[in-house]
Amino acid sequence: MPDPEDIKVVKDLLQAIIKAKKNLRIYPANNPIYAKTVNNTHLKIEAIFEYLDEIPLRMTRNEILYGGEPVFKGVGKDDNLALFFSRDGLKDLIFKSGLTKEEFQSFLEIVSYDFDSEDIADDVITLLWEKDFQNIKYTVDESILVEEDEEDYEEEAVKQVKERSAGEDDLTKAYSDALKSEETAKEIQLVPITDKDVTALAALREKVARDKKGKLIDILYEMLLMSEDFYEFHEITAIVANAMEYSIKQGDLRTAIEILWRAKTFDETTVTEFDSKEELNHIFRSAESPEIIKVIGDMMDEEPGIEDIVLQEYVSFLSRNSIPQFITILGELKTIKARKSVVNALVFLGGKDIAVLAKGLSDSRWYVVRNIIYVLRKVGDPKALDYLLRAAGHSDPRVRKELLKTIGESKGGPKAAAVVKDCLDDPESFVRTTAARALGSIGSDFAKRVMLDRLSDGKFLSVDFNEKKEFFEVLSRWRDSTVFDFLMKTVKKRALFKRAKHNENKAVAAYALGLMGNKNALPVLEKMRRSSNRFLSEYAYAAIKRIEYGKQG
Amino acid sequence: MESKGEIDLQKHAKDIVNNLAVIFRSAQIHDAANVAVVSSINKFTPMVNRLIKAEGAISIELVGEYFFVNGSRVKFPSEYIVSFEFLANEFTNRGLGSITFSDSIDVNDMQTLVKTFITSISAPEPLEALMEGMQNSERITLGKIRIQKDDEDVEVDARMAVKKTYFNAVSFTKGVMKKMSSGEKVNVKRAKRVVQSMVDQLLGEHELLLGMTAIKDYDDYTYHHSVNVSILSIALGQKLGFPRKMLLDLGLAALFHDIGKLDIPPEVLNKPAELSEEEWGTIKRHPFWGVKAILDIRGIDRSSITAAIVAFEHHIHHDNTGYPKRQTAAERDLFSKIVSIVDQYDGMTSARVYSRTPLTPDRALKLMLSRAGSQLDPILMKFYINLIGVYPTGSLVMLNTKELGLVYGSTDMPNRPKVLVIMDSNGQKVDGYLVDLSRKTKDGRYPRAILRTMDPNKYRINLAEYML
Repeated sequence: MPDPEDIKVVKDLLQAIIKAKKNLRIYPANNPIYAKTVNNTHLKIEAIFEYLDEIPLRMTRNEILYGGEPVFKGVGKDDNLALFFSRDGLKDLIFKSGLTKEEFQSFLEIVSYDFDSEDIADDVITLLWEKDFQNIKYTVDESILVEEDEEDYEEEAVKQVKERSAGEDDLTKAYSDALKSEETAKEIQLVPITDKDVTALAALREKVARDKKGKLIDILYEMLLMSEDFYEFHEITAIVANAMEYSIKQGDLRTAIEILWRAKTFDETTVTEFDSKEELNHIFRSAESPEIIKVIGDMMDEEPGIEDIVLQEYVSFLSRNSIPQFITILGELKTIKARKSVVNALVFLGGKDIAVLAKGLSDSRWYVVRNIIYVLRKVGDPKALDYLLRAAGHSDPRVRKELLKTIGESKGGPKAAAVVKDCLDDPESFVRTTAARALGSIGSDFAKRVMLDRLSDGKFLSVDFNEKKEFFEVLSRWRDSTVFDFLMKTVKKRALFKRAKHNENKAVAAYALGLMGNKNALPVLEKMRRSSNRFLSEYAYAAIKRIEYGKQG
Repeated sequence: MESKGEIDLQKHAKDIVNNLAVIFRSAQIHDAANVAVVSSINKFTPMVNRLIKAEGAISIELVGEYFFVNGSRVKFPSEYIVSFEFLANEFTNRGLGSITFSDSIDVNDMQTLVKTFITSISAPEPLEALMEGMQNSERITLGKIRIQKDDEDVEVDARMAVKKTYFNAVSFTKGVMKKMSSGEKVNVKRAKRVVQSMVDQLLGEHELLLGMTAIKDYDDYTYHHSVNVSILSIALGQKLGFPRKMLLDLGLAALFHDIGKLDIPPEVLNKPAELSEEEWGTIKRHPFWGVKAILDIRGIDRSSITAAIVAFEHHIHHDNTGYPKRQTAAERDLFSKIVSIVDQYDGMTSARVYSRTPLTPDRALKLMLSRAGSQLDPILMKFYINLIGVYPTGSLVMLNTKELGLVYGSTDMPNRPKVLVIMDSNGQKVDGYLVDLSRKTKDGRYPRAILRTMDPNKYRINLAEYML
């Protein structure tokens, strides 16, 4: 019977392990509490090793025994350390003096796994085995490995083989033949292993260390060629699809690309007696499933991420059906780099089906809508305009701004200009200036008329100076007499009231004339330059210089 | 002073053993004062002294086939195989068990050791000469080889454990195959456990588990064959210096290498007569079915990928002949090369439905040697012969003492294995006593040697009666 004091410290140790199990589950490895927990638990066991060489523990279903005495009693499943170990067949667990903190941390990490809910391919015994602890030993009850109906296998097999053993006569015959024989032993020549052999072996080993996925892919495509009927072909394509998913889940998009490329090549170059195309499509469909695109999204956000060129290569194999999945992850990605890549992917995919892409305009997340507008602009399909115009009234000004930029670049017709016109009244200044720029990009007579009307409107006088400047700059793009006359008129205008505001108009009109580069404006501008108002004088001077040096806007 | 924890002993131990081997090797060619020897010593001494500071003393001990440094078994990478085997042989030939460095050493200490070590081999009693030569050294002490416990109870316990591991593996394999045939799910975690147990046994009771594979007369050939191939592959992997995790992957792949045979109709698989071309065609499909079965039951992960590759390639030869025929030639995986060697060996030495008389192990090896370079990888074949030995376990041998026996296990001398005598020198049947042909008498003679080998199958003699 062990010393009661020893029993007490072992009990404490087990409680500390249970506490560590919880903390290690809750906190990430870089959290100070994680490190503190490991440290404290190790200190506890080290203190025991001051006077004990080892701590042998015997596991039963609900109890842990130390020297035959219970030191832990578990009830149910939660926190039941005894059940945790015993259910996989662990019988004895022995901690030995010399246990390092690193070893103990690895042990605690295994203990902290939640085998019921986490996707862990191995049981606790395998995890302990793989660690090959120097100072934690264990014994295992191997009987759980044997199927119930095979329990007597050993006995029967031994009996059977012994029944066939040689009888006395056989032995006697063997003996007399051996005596009579004149043959001497002809040994196989043992060739000593040389340094050259070891070098050759090292080369072989290096190959084995390399990733084997590529080799499996080779084999699977060989097997597709070897398939004797549709059913076999169907089964192998399903495995190829699984292999591709596995590669992606392992963070290996390049192997997935290789798989897709080979599926495509197979489809293009191989003739089968059955419809292989539909089966091969199964691989492509897997590549664009929501689950897989989600995994790709997660990978993109993590270090080292996915190179844009690699993602685009992958996407080149996907169909329009993948668009919704990419729109979904677009709203979830955290890094700009990742979002940029997905946007690029959508630009490629959107070309395949603009209608599906445009559904993203209804997304509840403003930034997704803004990105989709950008994508639609990059796709450059004239049909995109219809969808874009429907999003004109979006509640977020940043979306409205993106939309106006896109409409402007699309140089849409009167319908587009009419939508833009409405945006000149937007409550946000940056949306209004974007609308003005859009009208400038559209460049139609209607757009010009809208601009002239806006600038002639009395309300425009009170607009912020910078906004005025933007508007006049846009107007200067129509280098015709209507605009020239309007600007000249503005520059010459005399005002009795709100003179400062009028002067702002005059200054930005001069600025616009400078941008137009029309030398006919020089006399008026010269006059303005001589003005005692320094503000007007400076703007006129800048415009003159611009016209003289031919720097048109 | 560096503390115990500050230096990773395991990390440095392999270099210490390797460097000691290098010193002795160069001293076999040059004088101890030669620059090559001194330069090796200069590399060795600071390494040892640093560890002595941390550990107090450094003891290099040979136990069985393994080196231990301060009680911990030294795991070594494959590039050290030659050095480790050389040093183990040199120790064994002198009866030397250990060298202990108890205080910081210098070049002079090492030169004394080297001179004594090299000259001792030509003395009638090398160990005595060694001990005498080093008796004045206060810092280096030598120990004689420790005879591993041959206490009968320990031997029986170990044998029981090995038997259990072996039969657990076979019955597990049988269970898996039965389940698969009926379309049930298979527990892969258990497969790993079964193989881990075999790896552990091979790292410990190497000879006993290898001996179990030499018993061939079971009914359930398929299951025993799978387990035998797994055990022998792990043993070869161990010989090649694979780490434990790699041995586990290799053992798993080997265990499932023939799983595709489940799809072969029993009347074809067990046909006692010659197979028709069509039936051969069916047999040749089993690598294809094997890949499918493995990836079906186990899903895709690192170890199932390895197993699938082995299942597909184990009948493809070194020169790319064999089956299945590939459209594009590719080099086989190392594991496939290992399994194809072991698969051939176990297949040839077992009685199967279509070949009731198996080849004797030595004949099988001879035949396989003739295939090295065409069907089999020649380098791996070399390592395999070194593993199995000149007289593989299960060989029936007549000794020069007129005793008849079965080879029971290897020793450090490939032509002097352990033999279980079943007929004494008077031709009387005996219960079976073990003799180690590598053991010398006091006057330095080998009392027994193998005179000739016989075919045990001809007389229905097998190890089972004595091992099980």
